[in-house]
Parts: sequence; C-alpha cells; structure tokens
Amino acid sequence: MSVVIQSDEMVHAEQIVKRFGNLTVLNGVDLSVKRGQVVVIIGPSGSGKTTLLRCINHLEKIDSGRIYVDGELVGYREVKGKLMEDREANIARVRSGIGFVFQRFNLFPHMNALENIVEAPVQVLGHKKEEVTERAHALLAKVGLSEKAKAFPHKLSGGQQQRVAIARALAMNPKLMLFDEATSALDPELVGEVLKVMRQLAEEGMTMVVVTHEMGFARDVADHVIFMDKSVIVEQGTPEQVFGHTQHERTRNFLGMIAE
Amino acid sequence: MFRWDVVWQNLFSTPFVTAAWTTLWLSVVAQVIGVLLGLLLALMRMSRSPFLSLPARFYIWLFRGSPLLVQILILYTGIPELFHNQAVTTFLSAYVVILIAFSLNEGAYMAEIMRAGIESVDAGQMEAAKALGMRSSLGMRRIVLPQAARVIVPPLGNEFNNMLKTTSLASVIGLLELTGTAQTIGSISFTTFELLIVATAYYLLLTTLWGYTQNWIEKRLDPNRNQKVEVETKSLTTRMVGFGATRSK
Repeated sequence: MSVVIQSDEMVHAEQIVKRFGNLTVLNGVDLSVKRGQVVVIIGPSGSGKTTLLRCINHLEKIDSGRIYVDGELVGYREVKGKLMEDREANIARVRSGIGFVFQRFNLFPHMNALENIVEAPVQVLGHKKEEVTERAHALLAKVGLSEKAKAFPHKLSGGQQQRVAIARALAMNPKLMLFDEATSALDPELVGEVLKVMRQLAEEGMTMVVVTHEMGFARDVADHVIFMDKSVIVEQGTPEQVFGHTQHERTRNFLGMIAE
Repeated sequence: MFRWDVVWQNLFSTPFVTAAWTTLWLSVVAQVIGVLLGLLLALMRMSRSPFLSLPARFYIWLFRGSPLLVQILILYTGIPELFHNQAVTTFLSAYVVILIAFSLNEGAYMAEIMRAGIESVDAGQMEAAKALGMRSSLGMRRIVLPQAARVIVPPLGNEFNNMLKTTSLASVIGLLELTGTAQTIGSISFTTFELLIVATAYYLLLTTLWGYTQNWIEKRLDPNRNQKVEVETKSLTTRMVGFGATRSK
C-alpha cells in the first residue's frame, strides 16, 4: 500500500502531463482541493479541463506527475522512484471513494432508477441489498425523484437522468465528487434542477471539483475558480478575484465571449 | 410410389424419437460450448495485447474460412491417422468428433457475434461502471454483457436454428441423428424418401419450438417489459364495419 499523507488536502496534483499522441492536453498542471472545498474549472473547449478531471479518478492515464486523493497516490505505485500503473483492484478501490458525474449521464439503461443506484454499493462494497435500497430511496428523495424509483432511464428527461446519476454516485458515500460538464447535454430548461442539487451538495460540505460552463454557478458556489486554456492553468483564485479582478488577457477574452 | 403409411409408422417410432433427442442434445451442448468459446475469443480479440488478439484472429479466420464438413472429416479420419494411437482413435468417437467440431466451429462464428454485441454498447457504460469502483470483469458481467445480450440474442437464435439443421452433417461419419437414422433405416427397407420426410417433420418441429423460445427470450430482454403499455387493438368487426368491441393487450 502506498503511503497515506494526512492533510487538509483532498486532492493534490503536481505537474500533471497528459498527451494524446503528439498532442499535449495537460502541460504541467498543479491542483489542490481542500476538504469541503468546491473548486470550479472553467475554460474554452479543448483547454484540458475535462481531461484533468478524468485524470483525478484515473479514467485517463497520465504521462508524468502525481495525483493524490485523500493522501493516496491515484492509479500508480512508486517503485524505486518510478511510477508503475497500479493493480486494477487498487485502482477500483480508489475510484469507489470518488463520485463521477458524466456529461452524458451514462445511466445503465437495463436497470431502473433504483437498480442503477443500488448496483455498485451491493456489487462493489458488498453492502446488504435491503439496507442500500433504503438508502437509495432516501437519495432519490434528496434529488427530488421519489416517484421515479421504478422508471427506466429512457422514460426520464435529461435532467431527471442526471439527478439519478448524481444519486448513484452519492450511494457510494464518496469523499469527493467530480462533475464533468454535468449540465452541458441538457435542454436549457432542465439545467436549473441539476444545478440546484449540486448547490445543495456544496452547502452540505461535499468536496467537489466541477467542470462547467455555468458561470453563475461558478460565481455563487465556488470557493476557488480555475481558468484553463491551452493545456495549462492560466489564472485561479476566489470567484471575486477571477471574475471581478481578472488578471490575464486570455481569461478576459473568454469571459467576454461567454457574456455575449 | 410414396407410402404415407411408412411415414406414420415411423413418425413416433423409437429410432426417430431417439434420433430427435440426439439431434437436440448435440445442438444444445455444441451451442453452449460455442457461446462460451465465442465469448472468450471475442474478449481476446478485443484485447489490446497482440498475444491475445492475434491467436483469436487466427482461430476465427481458420474456422470461418474452411467448411465444417472438412473439419469433421479431418478430426474423424485425419487426426487418428496422424497419431496412429489406439487411445486417440478410441477417444475420437463419432459423438466426440461431432461435439468438438461443432463447438470449435460455432465458437468462431459466435466470437464475431459477441464482439459486435459488446462493441454495440456505448463506451460510457464501462466508464460509468469503472467510475463506481467496478473492475472491468464485473463491469463486463453486470453492465456491458446484459446490454450486449439484446444485440447478441437474435443472431444467436439464428445460429442455433442453423445448428439444429447442420447436425445432419454428423450422418457422414455414421452418427445416428435424424438424417443418419433416416438414411440408415431407409436404405435397408428402400423407404429413404419417406423417412427423410419424417426427419424433416422433426427438424421443423424443433426449429419451430426454438422460434417460440427465441421470441420469449427476446421479449424478456426488452427493458420496456416492466412497463404496461396499453395497446388498444381494434377487433375485426371494428376495422371492417366501424363498430364492435375493443380489447386491450
């Protein structure tokens, strides 16, 4: 087992480099997320923000650098100073403590809403089905979908599907939640209901990293805003600093385009 | 002259009932092994490691590219000749040869069907499974394969339908399944034509029963099956004269 470093940091990433072939998507990115903090990453498409998020739970391998979640090295183990990819069982264990919400929901279409939520706690954590089912009903109530327990994904709207997906991730009792453009695939009138659930989570003190184009959410909910462009972090700080006292030209251009 | 009485006499005779049973169990066993082998080959073929994917490709190429009848004959006559070993010859009885040949051959076809099924499932499904802490084997079993099944089952059904009929090839090495039985008894009593009709009746019975079974399985795999869909079916009189009873399905 890797050395566990206790600190107030939930996510600690150093000098992350990620390449797809010749294309460098992350070029030496550092990231620090404190416990209970909500970090929002903004930036134009192709800036690397989604890739960064996917590296945190090792859905993407990294070419160099180190990522720690809750003090534990993610996806790799250190052998004589070199990084080797970790055993699958270890990677899976680390992921089970990190919730991930996808842009396209990725609910399991052959299971109803309740079964979607119950699946992983039972199959991965070995929890009792009755106990998880009870918890799943509570989570469905929390995301406002008590009546939809038996509904299959294709009978749900995009907003409802995404709320089930959030409940599914929460059922694993994650210490960290990652949101990858959770509202980008939704019709405009359905964005609000998902953001509301995310706001509520933030208020409850959940540690969150959120990649989004919703500037209102970033402004109101974020403790820390990161602006990424062309594979690097250009600017970061409190929402007040990034939106109110923008330092960099690139950030200003981006925010200007969004405002239009 | 065609003798219907011979048909009726043989239709429920012990040799034909036994032969039908032989045809059925050979088909089921070979299909089950073929499905399992096909799954293994499909996973190997989709592997990123060439040590797994190349042998699988070679296997599929070999077995799909040569006739089953030739494969049966090679196993039945060629292999024993090669070894000149009594134990090998004894082991490779007609039943064993047929089971091996049919399973190996079916595995190659099922591999491609399985692969198409697995690849039809959105990559986001395995990602979601992994993000929830599942290992890929668990994600495959619980998330991907159940969804792939809906794509796999219709062609699998056709494969089994084919299998029921292709077992007739076993007659060339003297195995008494339906076709072999018809030929053997028929050549003694000069009633081959009549007995082939009997065999045909059994084949039709088996494939028809399988057709119903397949329908039932496909319905069960439909995710909408739990939803009661009210379909109003207009009765014949309603459609023809504009009034009458309506019934709900």
